[in-house]
Amino acid sequence: MEIFHNLYIGFVVAVHPVNVMYCFIGVILGTLIGVLPGIGPVATIAMLLPITFNLNPVAALIMLAGIYYGAQYGGSTTAILVNIPGESSSVVTCLDGYQMARQGRAGPALAIAALGSFFAGCVATLIIAVAAPPLAEVALKFGPAEYFSLMVFGLVAATVLAHGSLIKAIAMVLLGLLLGLVGTDVNSGVLRFTFGVPELSDGIGFVIVAMGMFGTAEIIANLELKDQREIFTSKVTHLYPTKQDLKDSWAAVLRGTALGSMLGILPGGGALLASFGAYTLEKKVSKHPERFGKGAIEGVAGPESANNAGAQTSFIPMLTLGIPSNAVMALMIGALMIQGIAPGPQVMNEKPELFWGLIASMWVGNLMLVVLNLPLIGMWVKLLTVPYRYLYPSILVFMAIGVFSLSNNAFDVLIMAVFGVLGYICVKLECEPAPMILGFILGPLMEENLRRAMLLSRGDPFVFVSPNKPISLAFLVASTILLVIVAMPAIRKKREEVFVEEG
Amino acid sequence: MLALCASTLALPQDWPSRPVHLVVPYAPGGPVDLSARLIAPKLQQALGQPVVVENKPGAGGNIGADFVAKSSPDGHTLVMGAIATHAINPALYPKLAYDPVRDFRHIALLVQVPNVLVVNNELPARSVAELVALAKRQPGKLDFASGSTGSTGHLAGELFKQITGTELVHVPYKGSAPAVADLLAGRVHLMFDNLASAAPNIQAGKLRALAVTTVRRSSFLPELPTLDESGLKGFEMTTWWGLMAPAKTPQPVVDRISQEALRAIESPDLRERWRAMGSELPGARTPAEFTAFVERERKLYAELVKRSGATVD
Repeated sequence: MEIFHNLYIGFVVAVHPVNVMYCFIGVILGTLIGVLPGIGPVATIAMLLPITFNLNPVAALIMLAGIYYGAQYGGSTTAILVNIPGESSSVVTCLDGYQMARQGRAGPALAIAALGSFFAGCVATLIIAVAAPPLAEVALKFGPAEYFSLMVFGLVAATVLAHGSLIKAIAMVLLGLLLGLVGTDVNSGVLRFTFGVPELSDGIGFVIVAMGMFGTAEIIANLELKDQREIFTSKVTHLYPTKQDLKDSWAAVLRGTALGSMLGILPGGGALLASFGAYTLEKKVSKHPERFGKGAIEGVAGPESANNAGAQTSFIPMLTLGIPSNAVMALMIGALMIQGIAPGPQVMNEKPELFWGLIASMWVGNLMLVVLNLPLIGMWVKLLTVPYRYLYPSILVFMAIGVFSLSNNAFDVLIMAVFGVLGYICVKLECEPAPMILGFILGPLMEENLRRAMLLSRGDPFVFVSPNKPISLAFLVASTILLVIVAMPAIRKKREEVFVEEG
Repeated sequence: MLALCASTLALPQDWPSRPVHLVVPYAPGGPVDLSARLIAPKLQQALGQPVVVENKPGAGGNIGADFVAKSSPDGHTLVMGAIATHAINPALYPKLAYDPVRDFRHIALLVQVPNVLVVNNELPARSVAELVALAKRQPGKLDFASGSTGSTGHLAGELFKQITGTELVHVPYKGSAPAVADLLAGRVHLMFDNLASAAPNIQAGKLRALAVTTVRRSSFLPELPTLDESGLKGFEMTTWWGLMAPAKTPQPVVDRISQEALRAIESPDLRERWRAMGSELPGARTPAEFTAFVERERKLYAELVKRSGATVD
């Protein structure tokens, strides 16, 4: 019954008018910056930090958290409407969400993203409330060996992401891995492929690559097609999902929520895998995998739910261990430290109103987001009726501002342009960017963890399959099985159904 | 001659004539960024012009530092120069584009934070002496984690190895958070972590702190001995950062900012915030002392980096 008592404490804090107001400010700001391509929560929260110094820590944290998950909501809007993923998690939303928009179904895509996210957010909030401390222990079970094997599994499963040629998908994954090598080697500190450019020494930023490959490339490709773009909106039939849409997506929402909640707990890149994993899962279990990449609503519902669930559960390692999962969490820890509160194992006991208040406020915030976002859908869809000749320059400008704001460096904007050209070439060659992005994200993480695991085992490669590392062993066995399935001739026919695009 | 003196001593009439940019050569959210954002409003109030914090991260802080080194020296561009950009990196990066002493005016040392030697709870070492004995019994078996190659955590470990004659294996991470995760889980055995970020796990009994790396005990955890008093004579390392400007910034401007900055960090509210970061009031009090301090630190780390064998191409 303690849990009800705790939630009661939390809700008393969360529904306090002042906290409701900060929660509202947070989610509104978050939605806005999420919608604006490239302007991410990190830059926004950094700018707001000085304001939070003078706030009560609970209100400050509630607002910052609101910005974070609000941005996740908003990010999917841009992904669906104009094919620009602002966050690593929205990359897969582009795949089917944007196709839905092209078919005049932007409304249902946005609505299902909002509803799926809301459901996932509620479930994940409950999970945090019920089981945060034991789950934090689970997070600690993942060391370098486990992360490596998880990434291997992710990468093997990722070949399913493509809906065109398998060879091209693998080539794109490899290209992503190569690009991920740029930067400083974690183990030795040696610079790789930086060509004497100091800006490259931390590697190429994910947002920059994603904006170029998806956003800029899409704009170039669209400009080729002169007037076709206008057709988008003339086909709009309805703004909200039909019964069939809901029937198609409820299971995907459930699966996405479950997967996202699990992966979000892992601070070392788990949340990154959530939306990719959910998409792969949906495609695998679907009876009609050929619909994916052409506007399948499950392809939006699953990853969006996974992404939001992961965003919420990634608070677990931060709140219970003081370990941030990403840059935004690190900022929140910074904000709390300035207030004299250091997130860690003691926060829950010493500051119950902060811990439970934040958790309850996430539920309140998620509710606000869905109430806020559903009516906005009509407006977003209207945005598509703006003639493309006005729309695309503004998108480009916002992208440039967003990318510049990442580290106040014009070099990044240049890199985005380069990737725009590369992305356009890929469009022409019918090579899809999503597998490349996945390779780009996972490659460096995989290498880092592989080498760290080897360093810790003093060069013993059996550390990945040793019986005292059952998690790592399980992932590697699962990857092998998956590979065999893909390679086995008897199943090849089925695989071709998965991969071949136009029959 | 008189005219010359006057021109160098008087504050330029047109300064500050526009917003002052305070460049933080790191991503937002870290301690350097936080302290910049705390002190900016104070400087703004004192100087009567907006003081804008601008993050220019990259290359271990070198991009931001280099940007300011090459900015116009008119007192409108400042940088949070840190131990990494101004003491360690010059030794670590052979092709650094700036000189940490010649290309800067060192205005005010703002923050000095100790590192703390923490070990996993399961490790049978309750003191520095026991840790040294343990490491000597099993040479090459104990791992020490750090936030990156060439970080203070790494170099503190190297210095520890040297002084004690022990063999420890360095395991670098991308930032100190994942390193702490593996330390909590017991996959690595020890770490020299930033005091403020390690404190919650120490206080919760999840990690065992053995000593701080400064010669004086920290007021943050006063019961914790120093490495120096634990038998590692002369062990001293603090993470520090402070305000700097391009080399040709006029002396009166430097002096003025220095006074205002010191006044700011001695104000009661900032003192409270500084304490939360684990920072002591800095040792250097004037720009000249700060420059001497930077030179000393640079020599110290040049030596240490060379002996540790760490470099970046």
